[in-house]
Amino acid sequence: MHNIVNFLHIKKAVILITLLFSLALLPALSSDQYGKILEDIDNLQNFGDNDFTTIYTIVSEKPGEEREVLEVRLFRRDVGDLFLMIIISPEVQKGQGFLQLEDNLWFYDPESRKFEHSSAKENIQNSDAKNNDLMVQTLSEDYTVVSHEEGILGNVPVYILNLEAKNDEVPYPKMKLWVRQTPTLPMKSDEYGYSERLMRSSAYLNYVKVGEKYLPTRILMVDMLNVGEKTQITMTNPSIGPLPDYVFTKAYLEKVNK
Amino acid sequence: MKLIRLALRNLLRQKRRSILLGSAIAFGILFITLINGFTGSFIENVGENFSNLMAGHIFIDGVEKSSSGKDLYLIDDDSRIMDAIEKSGIEYNFLTKRSEIRGTLLFEGNGINQSIVGADWEKESYFKERIILKEGTFENLSDPHGIIVSSKIAERLNVQLGDHVIVKMQTYTGQQTAGDFTIAAISIDTGLFGSISCYANILYVNELLNIGPDKYLTLGIYLNNLIDTDPVTAKLLPELEKRINLFSRETTDDGNPFMAILEQQEEEEWDGVKYRLTTINDLLSEVEEIVRILNIAGLIIMLVLFAIIMVGITNTFRMVMFERIQEIGTMRAVGMHRSEVRALFLFEAFLLAIGGIISGYILSGITMFIISRVYWGVDTPLFMLLKNGYMTFRLAPLQIILNFVIVTILTLLAAFRPADKAAKLEPALALSTEK
Repeated sequence: MHNIVNFLHIKKAVILITLLFSLALLPALSSDQYGKILEDIDNLQNFGDNDFTTIYTIVSEKPGEEREVLEVRLFRRDVGDLFLMIIISPEVQKGQGFLQLEDNLWFYDPESRKFEHSSAKENIQNSDAKNNDLMVQTLSEDYTVVSHEEGILGNVPVYILNLEAKNDEVPYPKMKLWVRQTPTLPMKSDEYGYSERLMRSSAYLNYVKVGEKYLPTRILMVDMLNVGEKTQITMTNPSIGPLPDYVFTKAYLEKVNK
Repeated sequence: MKLIRLALRNLLRQKRRSILLGSAIAFGILFITLINGFTGSFIENVGENFSNLMAGHIFIDGVEKSSSGKDLYLIDDDSRIMDAIEKSGIEYNFLTKRSEIRGTLLFEGNGINQSIVGADWEKESYFKERIILKEGTFENLSDPHGIIVSSKIAERLNVQLGDHVIVKMQTYTGQQTAGDFTIAAISIDTGLFGSISCYANILYVNELLNIGPDKYLTLGIYLNNLIDTDPVTAKLLPELEKRINLFSRETTDDGNPFMAILEQQEEEEWDGVKYRLTTINDLLSEVEEIVRILNIAGLIIMLVLFAIIMVGITNTFRMVMFERIQEIGTMRAVGMHRSEVRALFLFEAFLLAIGGIISGYILSGITMFIISRVYWGVDTPLFMLLKNGYMTFRLAPLQIILNFVIVTILTLLAAFRPADKAAKLEPALALSTEK
């Protein structure tokens, strides 16, 4: 009898230890799964072999300043990390462009006819949008999920991910991301500066399906430090037709201005 | 000698006319001397004011390439630079170590793009002599988050002492961040360049830039005198070249070394940190161009002015010749040569020029003395051109001699035709001419 009681105690203890061990393992496994969400987001917006062309209209508003409207034409070939963005309006900035070649992002000014190094972290002109916002998303390469939870945004079930940058090539070292569960698309992001202060909050208001991929057609970015400062990015005319190789060259950027 | 005495007597015979002609010449000289005097001290004053603003005459900063090819500025370890300074034996007043933020200052919906210079204000005690405070005290900078803004910036942001402002900026590697500052003092705005920078503590600026507390962006060498800049640079460069990887200051033709360095930065690839040595004279070469243009403009205006004065001199001497036609006839009749008549007229013109030029220089001296005693203040847009709020003048002896020669030649040229005409008069015809 005593042995049976002992056996039951041992069995209980084993079950308890196993349960505790499983619980301890659960978050680690979940983190991996949540990490996979970042890969899914990247994949859903990466056109791979297909070339992508679109026009973005960037409207920025700052208190006490006139509203500024910038229109850019964008070309992307994600498989080679190639990116070209040419300003088409206003007239005074027409022809200025950004070209990503290998690891270098070049800014071209037709006035001086010179190329200068730029960075994905730089603001697009006077707006709150960064070059990085219009480039192919590489969340899984740049960020690690440090904590996560599930929740509801509006009436949509979302994953809420707290991210920390793996490198200093991204504009924001920390980010909180609300991701729709199916398909896994970002709906909102709070972006934190190095000082851990909330700097910008972005809402991804609409998505459009281009081929098999999804891209946000309207993003609202609100500056959280300067009340009343915001930027809205609208995407129009997306297409995935093939582009000639010479589009992604310095020569093309120079030629397009002649 | 006889001719000179005769010429002088002739000038004194018509005192009023001579004074008027001399005054015209003196006015021309006054005008060009004031311009030359002003431009002469222009470079020196702008240079000194810039040196104060930038805390040095010679600047060294380190540049490294980020993985995306962007230039990042940082002096991580200055031991080799300090060693080079020591070994070169250069004399300097003091060294400054500064970091700088470029960001947007925000306060209650107002925002201004601004540079914030971080320095160790305890060590840089001279700083207190350079900046005049309107409100607050330098002691308020003991608050690690304290910041000094100019009155113009304070007005635009609508801030007062003790207000908290936010700065939206990027770290050293370009990541977004934000900082908090408290208005410690408001400085008097010193015109055009006075609002370029706000001032804060280097430790907090470094923290915001995400660089270590003992690191900084620019080393400034403040010399005893602006004119020492080039010789000291020449002495320091070889010692630096032995110890650190330095951008070449060599230029083709008379190009600007700073521009040459910028070109190398754009075109070259390098590993680790490469250093730039720039001087206040690299910046001043642009100012020198302004001075050159001002001097040329002054010379053109002087030539136009003297063209008008020359017409007056020519007409006056033609009138003089007509007035003295019988006198000329008599002198020629009693044996005076043609060349002597011509020389007499030219001596008169020469003496007139000398009188006018000397008077002009005396007048210039008095005017410059009076203007240089006027205090223009430190909140004037002219501040960068002034020396501690006073206008100063510096004249190069060569410039004085050159103006002297130009005006004398022009006056002689103006008088030459009437003098020649007087010399060629036939005595009989001259004596029979009725006025």
